[in-house]
Amino acid sequence: MSDTETHLKKFEKELAAGTVSLVLLAVLAAAREPLYGYQIAKRLEQEAGVLAGKQSALYPVLRNLSAAELLDTHVEPSVAGPPRRYYRITPLGRRVLREWIEAWTATRRSVDSIIKT
Amino acid sequence: MNSTPQTIGEYLDQLRAALAGADPAMIQDALYDAEEHLRSELADNPGMSEAELLAKISGSYGAPEEVAEIYRNQEVTVTRALRPPPRREPSSNPITRFFAVAGDPHAYAAMFYLLLSLATGIFYFTWAIAGIALSMAFALSLVGIPFLILFFGSVRMLSLLEGRIVEGMLGVRMPRRPPYADRDLPLGKRIVAMFTDPRSWSSLFYMLVMLPLGIIYFVLLVVSTAVPVALMAAPFAQAIWRLPVAQIGDIDFYAPAWTWPIEFVVGFLGLFVMLHVARGIGRMHGAVAKSLLVKIAA
Repeated sequence: MSDTETHLKKFEKELAAGTVSLVLLAVLAAAREPLYGYQIAKRLEQEAGVLAGKQSALYPVLRNLSAAELLDTHVEPSVAGPPRRYYRITPLGRRVLREWIEAWTATRRSVDSIIKT
Repeated sequence: MNSTPQTIGEYLDQLRAALAGADPAMIQDALYDAEEHLRSELADNPGMSEAELLAKISGSYGAPEEVAEIYRNQEVTVTRALRPPPRREPSSNPITRFFAVAGDPHAYAAMFYLLLSLATGIFYFTWAIAGIALSMAFALSLVGIPFLILFFGSVRMLSLLEGRIVEGMLGVRMPRRPPYADRDLPLGKRIVAMFTDPRSWSSLFYMLVMLPLGIIYFVLLVVSTAVPVALMAAPFAQAIWRLPVAQIGDIDFYAPAWTWPIEFVVGFLGLFVMLHVARGIGRMHGAVAKSLLVKIAA
């Protein structure tokens, strides 16, 4: 393992930590029906990229978002296993998401312009 | 380094082992999340064997050690985030510390918890006693076993609920998910596990103990609030309406005027003592609840 790889891993981890809440909110805002953790993880998996970190990291974040009332949550029994916890975005979550997207776009624009020079 | 788990049960065992020493409430949440995810993955890939599936999961969801690491880190961030505003350094001055309790939200929340504990205590006690008595009565009949199982299930759910109340009002970290049950076992074994789990019994014990505790907490709180308030009010009552401080038989006792300021000040200080008492009992009760409701059988 080369020594640049550990730096890359660390950087990816920090990027993911900053963006995972945004991505989760966006996924749930786009979804028509409430989703449970596994479904959300699968949707993210298709897009891969930096966010393809360990999916176990999503669950605590989901819980935090719902504690902050950005997401609504309810439990439904399932045939396959333990009851599933479904998440749905709240109106507050949508408002917050809009602001986050603005912040993200601004950040991306300035980072891009600095990198290009 | 552990070998790759072959079954979901093994995976969860490894995760539990990797989290050993962490907050039991967090372990419960982590196991619950992992099981939900693993089961969903299994249901999604009907053709795949459990061992193959778990090899794949180690890549996507994370190996047990990695998951444990993620939850440990997350708990640190969450605990930090859940504690706004930043804690001020407790003052070294004992007088400041004595009065600072009035600014501590935990003291007021604990007051409410102590008041509420009489109601919840009566409810838990009634529920437990009715459940035990009916279980015994039904024991000889056909409905005996199903009833007992339902009753024990209800005890476990109530224990989760009480945990939420305790965390909300007393600020002690409690589980946010129900206790994890091994889904690989047949239903019969799972039911047996519920009865052999010491936590079911300690939860039941907690429900019984909540009645006497609730009564004691309630009385302590009411008395330690009423006495200071009465002391503060007495000088005014005597000065304005000529009401005696005490009445024994037909004899009225009046406090001399020079004691009035003292009464008032003592009552005023008494209110702060009450807040300290409430906060102290709250902390103690939080520890009791944690040890009886969440303590994981080693």
